[in-house]
Amino acid sequence: MIEATTNIKTADSSRLSQWLFNPFRFIAGFKALLLGLAIILASSFIGSFSNTHFDGVLDVHTGRSAPMWFFLAEGLIDWVCMVIPLFLFGLIVSRSAFRMIDVLGTQALARWPYLIAALAMLPDANRRVLAYLMSKLIQTAPAAAISSIDVLVFGFVMFVIILMLIWMVALMYRAYAVSCNIKGAGAVVTFIVSLIGAEVLSKIAILSLVRIFF
Amino acid sequence: MKVLPTTCPSCSSQLSVKSLVCERCQTEIQGQYELPLVARLSTDDQSFILEFIKASGSLKEMANLLGLSYPTVRNRLDEIIERVKIAEESGKDIKEKKL
Repeated sequence: MIEATTNIKTADSSRLSQWLFNPFRFIAGFKALLLGLAIILASSFIGSFSNTHFDGVLDVHTGRSAPMWFFLAEGLIDWVCMVIPLFLFGLIVSRSAFRMIDVLGTQALARWPYLIAALAMLPDANRRVLAYLMSKLIQTAPAAAISSIDVLVFGFVMFVIILMLIWMVALMYRAYAVSCNIKGAGAVVTFIVSLIGAEVLSKIAILSLVRIFF
Repeated sequence: MKVLPTTCPSCSSQLSVKSLVCERCQTEIQGQYELPLVARLSTDDQSFILEFIKASGSLKEMANLLGLSYPTVRNRLDEIIERVKIAEESGKDIKEKKL
Protein backbone atom coordinates (compact mmCIF):
# COMPACT_ATOMS: atom_id res chain seq x y z
CA MET A 1 0.00 0.00 0.00
CA ILE A 2 2.80 2.37 1.00
CA GLU A 3 4.72 1.36 -2.10
CA ALA A 4 1.67 2.01 -4.29
CA THR A 5 1.19 5.47 -2.74
CA THR A 6 4.87 6.26 -3.28
CA ASN A 7 4.60 5.15 -6.90
CA ILE A 8 1.57 7.39 -7.48
CA LYS A 9 3.40 10.33 -5.88
CA THR A 10 6.49 9.68 -8.02
CA ALA A 11 4.33 9.43 -11.14
CA ASP A 12 2.51 12.67 -10.21
CA SER A 13 5.73 14.58 -9.54
CA SER A 14 7.24 13.22 -12.76
CA ARG A 15 4.15 14.36 -14.70
CA LEU A 16 4.34 17.77 -13.00
CA SER A 17 8.01 18.16 -13.92
CA GLN A 18 7.13 17.11 -17.49
CA TRP A 19 4.46 19.84 -17.62
CA LEU A 20 6.92 22.40 -16.24
CA PHE A 21 9.98 21.54 -18.33
CA ASN A 22 8.60 19.63 -21.32
CA PRO A 23 4.89 20.42 -21.78
CA PHE A 24 5.34 19.67 -25.49
CA ARG A 25 5.17 15.98 -24.65
CA PHE A 26 1.47 16.59 -24.08
CA ILE A 27 0.63 19.67 -26.12
CA ALA A 28 1.77 20.81 -29.57
CA GLY A 29 0.34 21.82 -32.93
CA PHE A 30 -2.69 24.09 -33.22
CA LYS A 31 -3.62 23.96 -29.50
CA ALA A 32 -0.11 25.06 -28.51
CA LEU A 33 -0.18 27.76 -31.19
CA LEU A 34 -3.45 29.28 -29.93
CA LEU A 35 -2.37 29.11 -26.29
CA GLY A 36 1.14 30.38 -27.09
CA LEU A 37 -0.14 33.32 -29.15
CA ALA A 38 -2.54 34.27 -26.36
CA ILE A 39 0.38 34.16 -23.89
CA ILE A 40 2.67 36.26 -26.16
CA LEU A 41 -0.03 38.90 -26.65
CA ALA A 42 -0.96 38.89 -22.94
CA SER A 43 2.72 39.30 -21.95
CA SER A 44 3.09 42.25 -24.33
CA PHE A 45 -0.20 43.78 -23.13
CA ILE A 46 0.78 43.47 -19.44
CA GLY A 47 4.30 44.69 -20.25
CA SER A 48 2.86 47.86 -21.83
CA PHE A 49 1.57 49.03 -18.39
CA SER A 50 5.14 49.26 -17.07
CA ASN A 51 6.70 50.16 -20.46
CA THR A 52 8.42 46.77 -20.45
CA HIS A 53 9.70 45.99 -23.93
CA PHE A 54 10.52 42.46 -25.08
CA ASP A 55 12.87 44.02 -27.61
CA GLY A 56 14.68 40.86 -28.67
CA VAL A 57 14.15 37.11 -28.39
CA LEU A 58 15.71 37.07 -24.91
CA ASP A 59 15.39 40.74 -23.92
CA VAL A 60 13.30 42.34 -21.17
CA HIS A 61 13.89 46.09 -20.84
CA THR A 62 12.05 49.01 -19.32
CA GLY A 63 11.95 51.77 -21.90
CA ARG A 64 9.93 54.57 -23.42
CA SER A 65 6.18 54.53 -23.71
CA ALA A 66 4.89 53.36 -27.09
CA PRO A 67 1.55 52.59 -28.71
CA MET A 68 0.01 49.23 -27.78
CA TRP A 69 0.53 47.81 -31.27
CA PHE A 70 4.29 48.26 -30.88
CA PHE A 71 4.41 46.15 -27.71
CA LEU A 72 2.34 43.43 -29.42
CA ALA A 73 4.55 43.57 -32.52
CA GLU A 74 7.68 43.10 -30.41
CA GLY A 75 6.30 39.88 -28.92
CA LEU A 76 5.31 38.52 -32.32
CA ILE A 77 8.65 39.48 -33.92
CA ASP A 78 10.56 37.66 -31.13
CA TRP A 79 8.53 34.52 -31.72
CA VAL A 80 8.79 34.53 -35.54
CA CYS A 81 12.55 35.29 -35.43
CA MET A 82 13.10 32.20 -33.27
CA VAL A 83 10.92 29.96 -35.43
CA ILE A 84 12.66 30.79 -38.75
CA PRO A 85 16.21 29.49 -37.98
CA LEU A 86 14.91 26.52 -35.96
CA PHE A 87 12.64 25.46 -38.82
CA LEU A 88 15.48 25.78 -41.35
CA PHE A 89 17.89 23.82 -39.14
CA GLY A 90 15.16 21.24 -38.58
CA LEU A 91 14.87 20.76 -42.35
CA ILE A 92 18.63 20.20 -42.60
CA VAL A 93 19.33 18.13 -39.48
CA SER A 94 16.14 16.17 -38.72
CA ARG A 95 15.46 12.80 -40.29
CA SER A 96 11.78 13.03 -39.38
CA ALA A 97 9.01 14.56 -41.42
CA PHE A 98 8.03 17.24 -38.90
CA ARG A 99 5.23 19.80 -39.17
CA MET A 100 5.64 23.59 -39.33
CA ILE A 101 2.59 24.01 -37.05
CA ASP A 102 4.41 22.09 -34.27
CA VAL A 103 7.47 24.36 -34.49
CA LEU A 104 5.24 27.47 -34.51
CA GLY A 105 3.03 26.22 -31.68
CA THR A 106 5.69 24.86 -29.33
CA GLN A 107 7.94 27.92 -29.76
CA ALA A 108 4.99 30.21 -28.98
CA LEU A 109 4.13 28.21 -25.87
CA ALA A 110 7.80 28.13 -24.78
CA ARG A 111 7.60 31.89 -24.23
CA TRP A 112 5.15 31.55 -21.34
CA PRO A 113 7.71 32.28 -18.55
CA TYR A 114 7.86 35.82 -19.95
CA LEU A 115 4.24 36.27 -18.91
CA ILE A 116 5.52 35.96 -15.33
CA ALA A 117 8.37 38.34 -16.21
CA ALA A 118 5.83 40.90 -17.50
CA LEU A 119 3.87 40.60 -14.24
CA ALA A 120 7.07 40.88 -12.18
CA MET A 121 7.92 44.16 -13.94
CA LEU A 122 4.65 45.81 -12.87
CA PRO A 123 5.68 47.26 -9.46
CA ASP A 124 6.67 50.94 -9.63
CA ALA A 125 9.74 50.19 -7.50
CA ASN A 126 11.48 48.82 -10.61
CA ARG A 127 11.09 52.06 -12.52
CA ARG A 128 12.23 54.14 -9.54
CA VAL A 129 15.39 52.05 -9.05
CA LEU A 130 16.14 51.96 -12.80
CA ALA A 131 15.70 55.76 -13.05
CA TYR A 132 17.98 56.15 -10.04
CA LEU A 133 20.64 53.84 -11.51
CA MET A 134 20.41 55.61 -14.87
CA SER A 135 20.88 59.02 -13.25
CA LYS A 136 23.96 57.69 -11.44
CA LEU A 137 25.28 56.26 -14.69
CA ILE A 138 24.96 59.48 -16.66
CA GLN A 139 25.87 61.52 -13.55
CA THR A 140 22.79 63.72 -13.28
CA ALA A 141 20.60 64.47 -10.28
CA PRO A 142 18.47 61.43 -9.30
CA ALA A 143 14.93 61.65 -10.70
CA ALA A 144 13.39 60.38 -7.46
CA ALA A 145 14.47 59.08 -4.09
CA ILE A 146 14.44 55.32 -3.59
CA SER A 147 13.76 53.38 -0.40
CA SER A 148 15.37 50.17 0.80
CA ILE A 149 12.10 48.36 -0.01
CA ASP A 150 12.40 49.59 -3.62
CA VAL A 151 15.89 48.07 -3.78
CA LEU A 152 14.66 44.79 -2.28
CA VAL A 153 11.74 44.58 -4.73
CA PHE A 154 14.07 45.42 -7.62
CA GLY A 155 16.55 42.72 -6.56
CA PHE A 156 13.77 40.14 -6.28
CA VAL A 157 12.34 41.10 -9.68
CA MET A 158 15.78 40.81 -11.33
CA PHE A 159 16.16 37.35 -9.77
CA VAL A 160 12.73 36.31 -11.08
CA ILE A 161 13.52 37.62 -14.57
CA ILE A 162 16.83 35.74 -14.76
CA LEU A 163 15.04 32.59 -13.60
CA MET A 164 12.30 33.08 -16.23
CA LEU A 165 14.93 33.67 -18.93
CA ILE A 166 16.70 30.38 -18.09
CA TRP A 167 13.37 28.57 -17.95
CA MET A 168 12.25 30.01 -21.29
CA VAL A 169 15.50 29.01 -23.04
CA ALA A 170 15.17 25.48 -21.59
CA LEU A 171 11.58 25.30 -22.88
CA MET A 172 12.60 26.62 -26.31
CA TYR A 173 15.22 23.89 -26.56
CA ARG A 174 12.75 21.17 -25.52
CA ALA A 175 10.21 22.58 -28.01
CA TYR A 176 12.81 22.36 -30.79
CA ALA A 177 13.91 18.83 -29.81
CA VAL A 178 10.32 17.51 -29.67
CA SER A 179 8.83 19.31 -32.68
CA CYS A 180 11.76 18.53 -35.04
CA ASN A 181 12.81 15.21 -33.43
CA ILE A 182 16.44 16.23 -32.98
CA LYS A 183 18.68 14.95 -30.17
CA GLY A 184 22.27 15.10 -28.94
CA ALA A 185 25.10 17.44 -29.87
CA GLY A 186 23.50 18.35 -33.22
CA ALA A 187 20.40 19.62 -31.42
CA VAL A 188 22.42 21.67 -28.90
CA VAL A 189 24.72 23.26 -31.51
CA THR A 190 21.95 24.13 -33.99
CA PHE A 191 19.81 25.50 -31.15
CA ILE A 192 22.60 27.79 -29.86
CA VAL A 193 23.33 29.05 -33.40
CA SER A 194 19.59 29.62 -33.96
CA LEU A 195 19.25 31.48 -30.65
CA ILE A 196 22.13 33.84 -31.46
CA GLY A 197 20.84 34.33 -35.02
CA ALA A 198 17.29 34.94 -33.77
CA GLU A 199 18.50 37.49 -31.20
CA VAL A 200 20.33 39.46 -33.91
CA LEU A 201 17.42 39.12 -36.36
CA SER A 202 14.82 40.26 -33.81
CA LYS A 203 16.95 43.26 -32.77
CA ILE A 204 17.30 44.33 -36.41
CA ALA A 205 13.56 43.86 -37.07
CA ILE A 206 12.50 45.83 -33.97
CA LEU A 207 15.00 48.63 -34.63
CA SER A 208 13.74 48.85 -38.22
CA LEU A 209 10.20 49.16 -36.88
CA VAL A 210 11.31 51.98 -34.56
CA ARG A 211 13.03 53.80 -37.45
CA ILE A 212 10.01 53.51 -39.71
CA PHE A 213 7.29 54.55 -37.25
CA PHE A 214 8.98 56.79 -34.62
CA MET B 1 2.95 -12.28 -17.68
CA LYS B 2 6.22 -13.86 -18.77
CA VAL B 3 8.31 -11.79 -21.18
CA LEU B 4 9.63 -13.60 -24.25
CA PRO B 5 13.44 -13.36 -24.15
CA THR B 6 14.84 -12.29 -27.52
CA THR B 7 18.56 -11.93 -26.78
CA CYS B 8 20.98 -14.37 -25.17
CA PRO B 9 21.60 -13.51 -21.49
CA SER B 10 25.14 -14.82 -21.84
CA CYS B 11 26.47 -13.22 -25.07
CA SER B 12 23.59 -10.87 -26.07
CA SER B 13 23.20 -12.54 -29.49
CA GLN B 14 19.83 -12.92 -31.16
CA LEU B 15 17.93 -15.98 -29.86
CA SER B 16 16.04 -18.32 -32.19
CA VAL B 17 13.17 -20.76 -31.57
CA LYS B 18 14.21 -24.39 -31.14
CA SER B 19 10.94 -26.06 -30.28
CA LEU B 20 7.21 -25.41 -30.56
CA VAL B 21 4.56 -27.32 -28.66
CA CYS B 22 0.83 -27.85 -29.14
CA GLU B 23 -0.79 -27.22 -25.75
CA ARG B 24 -3.75 -29.47 -26.65
CA CYS B 25 -2.07 -32.69 -27.77
CA GLN B 26 1.49 -31.98 -26.59
CA THR B 27 2.94 -32.51 -30.08
CA GLU B 28 6.36 -31.00 -30.10
CA ILE B 29 8.16 -29.70 -33.18
CA GLN B 30 11.90 -29.35 -33.06
CA GLY B 31 13.90 -27.19 -35.43
CA GLN B 32 15.53 -23.82 -35.68
CA TYR B 33 13.27 -20.90 -36.47
CA GLU B 34 14.12 -17.23 -36.45
CA LEU B 35 11.98 -15.01 -34.22
CA PRO B 36 9.65 -12.80 -36.28
CA LEU B 37 10.94 -9.24 -36.58
CA VAL B 38 8.14 -7.75 -34.46
CA ALA B 39 8.78 -10.31 -31.70
CA ARG B 40 12.36 -9.07 -31.48
CA LEU B 41 11.16 -5.61 -30.43
CA SER B 42 10.51 -4.69 -26.80
CA THR B 43 7.05 -5.31 -25.35
CA ASP B 44 6.49 -1.53 -25.19
CA ASP B 45 7.26 -1.20 -28.90
CA GLN B 46 5.03 -4.17 -29.72
CA SER B 47 2.07 -2.70 -27.84
CA PHE B 48 2.66 0.67 -29.53
CA ILE B 49 2.54 -1.04 -32.95
CA LEU B 50 -0.68 -2.87 -32.01
CA GLU B 51 -2.31 0.36 -30.82
CA PHE B 52 -1.13 2.08 -33.99
CA ILE B 53 -2.80 -0.58 -36.12
CA LYS B 54 -5.99 -0.36 -34.05
CA ALA B 55 -5.98 3.40 -34.61
CA SER B 56 -5.88 2.73 -38.39
CA GLY B 57 -2.37 4.14 -38.55
CA SER B 58 -3.54 7.59 -37.48
CA LEU B 59 -0.92 9.39 -35.41
CA LYS B 60 -3.51 12.00 -34.42
CA GLU B 61 -5.78 9.31 -32.99
CA MET B 62 -2.82 7.65 -31.25
CA ALA B 63 -1.93 11.01 -29.67
CA ASN B 64 -5.52 11.36 -28.40
CA LEU B 65 -5.56 7.78 -27.09
CA LEU B 66 -2.24 8.10 -25.24
CA GLY B 67 -2.82 11.69 -24.06
CA LEU B 68 0.41 12.78 -25.75
CA SER B 69 1.17 15.40 -28.38
CA TYR B 70 1.37 14.57 -32.08
CA PRO B 71 5.17 15.10 -32.41
CA THR B 72 5.82 12.95 -29.30
CA VAL B 73 3.91 10.05 -30.86
CA ARG B 74 5.54 10.60 -34.26
CA ASN B 75 9.00 10.64 -32.62
CA ARG B 76 8.18 7.36 -30.86
CA LEU B 77 7.15 5.82 -34.18
CA ASP B 78 10.38 7.08 -35.80
CA GLU B 79 12.40 5.45 -32.99
CA ILE B 80 10.60 2.14 -33.58
CA ILE B 81 11.22 2.42 -37.33
CA GLU B 82 14.94 2.87 -36.57
CA ARG B 83 14.91 -0.21 -34.30
CA VAL B 84 13.08 -2.24 -36.97
CA LYS B 85 15.73 -1.25 -39.54
CA ILE B 86 18.51 -2.28 -37.12
CA ALA B 87 16.74 -5.60 -36.42
CA GLU B 88 16.40 -6.19 -40.19
CA GLU B 89 20.08 -5.47 -40.72
CA SER B 90 21.16 -7.78 -37.88
CA GLY B 91 18.84 -10.49 -39.27
CA LYS B 92 20.54 -10.16 -42.69
CA ASP B 93 23.99 -10.37 -41.07
CA ILE B 94 23.07 -13.57 -39.21
CA LYS B 95 21.78 -15.17 -42.45
CA GLU B 96 24.93 -14.18 -44.33
CA LYS B 97 27.12 -15.67 -41.57
CA LYS B 98 25.17 -18.94 -41.75
CA LEU B 99 25.67 -19.13 -45.51
